[in-house]
Amino acid sequence: MSFQRANVNPSMPFSAAAPGQVGNAELPEDDKAALGDSTRWFTDDAGVHVADSVFALQGMYCAACSGVIEAALQALPGVLQVEVNAASRRAKVRWNPVRVKLAQMFKAVEAAGYRAVPAQHEALRVARQRESRQALWRLFVAGFCMMQVMMLVAPAYVAAPGEIATDLEALLRWAAWVLSLPVLLFSAGPFFTGAWHALRQHRIGMDVPVALGIVITFVAGTAVTFDPTGPFGREVYLDSMTMFVTFLLAGRWLESRARARSTEALDDLLQRMPDSVERIDDAGRSETVLASRLRVGDRVRVALGQAFPGDGELIDGSTQIDEALLSGESRPVERRVGESVVGGTVNVGVPVLVRLSCVGEGTRYRQIVDLVQRALAERPQMLRTADRWAGPFLWGVLVMAALAAAAWSVIDPSRALWVAVSVLIVTCPCALSLAAPAALLSAAGALARCGVLVQRLDALETLARTDTACLDKTGTLTQDRLVLAHIGIHEGADRGAMLARAASLAALSHHPLSRALTQALPAPQGEWSAVREVAGQGIQARDAQGRLWQLGSPAWVGVQASAARPVVAFAQVSGRPEDTAIFEFDEALRADAGQALQQLHAQGVAVRLLSGDSQASVDAVARRLNISQAQGAATPEGKLGALSALQAEGHCVLMVGDGVNDGPVLARADVSFALAHGSALAQQRSDFIVLGSRLAEVPAARALAKRTVSVMRQNLLWALLYNAACVPLALAGLLPPWAAGAGMAVSSLAVVLNALRLSR
Amino acid sequence: MESLYLLLPLSVLLVLALIGVFGWAVNAGQFDDLDREGWRVLEENRSETAGTARTPFDPDQA
Repeated sequence: MSFQRANVNPSMPFSAAAPGQVGNAELPEDDKAALGDSTRWFTDDAGVHVADSVFALQGMYCAACSGVIEAALQALPGVLQVEVNAASRRAKVRWNPVRVKLAQMFKAVEAAGYRAVPAQHEALRVARQRESRQALWRLFVAGFCMMQVMMLVAPAYVAAPGEIATDLEALLRWAAWVLSLPVLLFSAGPFFTGAWHALRQHRIGMDVPVALGIVITFVAGTAVTFDPTGPFGREVYLDSMTMFVTFLLAGRWLESRARARSTEALDDLLQRMPDSVERIDDAGRSETVLASRLRVGDRVRVALGQAFPGDGELIDGSTQIDEALLSGESRPVERRVGESVVGGTVNVGVPVLVRLSCVGEGTRYRQIVDLVQRALAERPQMLRTADRWAGPFLWGVLVMAALAAAAWSVIDPSRALWVAVSVLIVTCPCALSLAAPAALLSAAGALARCGVLVQRLDALETLARTDTACLDKTGTLTQDRLVLAHIGIHEGADRGAMLARAASLAALSHHPLSRALTQALPAPQGEWSAVREVAGQGIQARDAQGRLWQLGSPAWVGVQASAARPVVAFAQVSGRPEDTAIFEFDEALRADAGQALQQLHAQGVAVRLLSGDSQASVDAVARRLNISQAQGAATPEGKLGALSALQAEGHCVLMVGDGVNDGPVLARADVSFALAHGSALAQQRSDFIVLGSRLAEVPAARALAKRTVSVMRQNLLWALLYNAACVPLALAGLLPPWAAGAGMAVSSLAVVLNALRLSR
Repeated sequence: MESLYLLLPLSVLLVLALIGVFGWAVNAGQFDDLDREGWRVLEENRSETAGTARTPFDPDQA
């Protein structure tokens, strides 16, 4: 088959697709390159130009959807083959560009209720897929050859000397040798490349002892095969080699699958953005463009099941949006026309039109992705320590294996090689090196699913040790708005009428207190005239009877009121005392503040309030939440001082703030949580960031951190016990190499599976 | 007994061939999505073109 580049192919679908003819999914000129990446052009056996394209599908939820899409595409003339992969949500289509247009295929998929776009990042995905296929193949080759080699060497174990003809015995050995070649040359490849890379950098990696073990057994096995009377005697080595290579590969394969599952949530978060989107131009025509080509102000149609390509504003249609990965809120939220949407969240209601206000780097989504990637790129302290010790440890393994071989060559020369190989394989510190990172990554993935971003993996360990929590008040325990707390009304007044009157007047003002008032009291339409708002004082107006009413600060209205909390007075100007009402306001607590503090208490964490607000308002909040220790009027230095004092007393302090104003305090605390609202994410330097500002995530994260630490301990203990038990066994010659390989694979798999419990 | 001298080399060749077949199957993507194929039995019969969809293929191999 010959390959032709898209731009030299005369039967390109784009030149043939006249504008308008193919409806709303025609591709603009500049997207030829985009499709070119996901499409191969070639001439098939019958001499027809055909194309193999990969489309990314949106709106697919299960394997059953793939049948619908396949049927829809298959119905088109000119579509030769279709295969939909439900797991990767990709459709592979072979089509004839002369008989069917790209746009027709997209329309067919759309008519079936889904959406197809040319797949991007295809090279990356294909590379990853090739890797996983290769791993499966390696494992199969090793396993299959292992079984055959075992069959072929079995006679050597069971037959008495001389029972089998010498030439038949030689033939059996040669057959086993030939079948062990693919294992050595193909299946064991990763161990050799790993060892080679490490040696080239003058390091000694974990693959070095394993590769050494493989080479030693193969060399010995080869020598025995072709010269059974030679120095290695009549022992069989090749079955051991194929067996431990198989076990090691099986362990790695299962482990990589388990690991992929534990970081699924993180991967999902990082790959949220759509590849290409439907842009609507000023004339109302739509075109499919690459997400990277979007500009601020572009209008974009976002289909059902698609992620928003940037931050923006809904300009047509009301929908539900799944913001789970950005806010942790699992229920879809309702968004109406004019409300803002965040890039990366998924439209789960109806197709809508969005005007973009921010794309690319500046979006909230990009900031989150950057934070996650920064955290993942960092190596935790524990790992750095492990790295330092890995070198000496591995040298120790090599020396120990050599010493064991030397000792056994005196005791029983026929077993010397065996023992050395067993020691090399069994001591590989795979489980030890996986113990901590597997648990930490798994926990980070689980937290990301709840909308908590881990910035420093080390902090998970510290978080489990915290015994004191300091909380900021404003923006942390309370929201930025006020709620009506108390209504003071004259005994003899008509309560209902007064409240209705006050609320309807408040509805005319945009002052925060007026808004809080109308929110608390349903406001009927009032008949007000001569409305006048006095800045900083209040609002006044005449009612239907022509009486003048005032709503505003007590001094302006002329009413006596205490100043403990924000107060609004309502009265008729020079009216009776009964026509007076006083509304007192409180700061609105976060809905989950009480519950979160209760849980922290239950976990044995002492809770303190540390705020820069006046002592009176801090005390008021502390009373409502049953916090015994509250310090108000604290300057940033004061907060730092209070924190240091706590730390000096030996407390491990957890600080929760809004992350913007208390940067230094957050940095000083042992562990810090920032409740992120708004767009200040990029400036966050706290250890944990709670997206969606739900306070209840703090105790939940602490509970998970505790579990993480215990899983890490179990893992380390298991890995150490395994090595402590197996090394003496191998040295004593009680552990054949195949058992060493199986033991190592099982021990690292146990560690990863144990860590996987955290992500549930 | 003499037949073993022929059968042994043949079995080795057979194993190598099987490995090759499995390698082809893996690289053709037959193990990429194991769920999808199970659903196919439940789908109603499609037109005569349905048969072509049953042969997995891979653009990389084309």
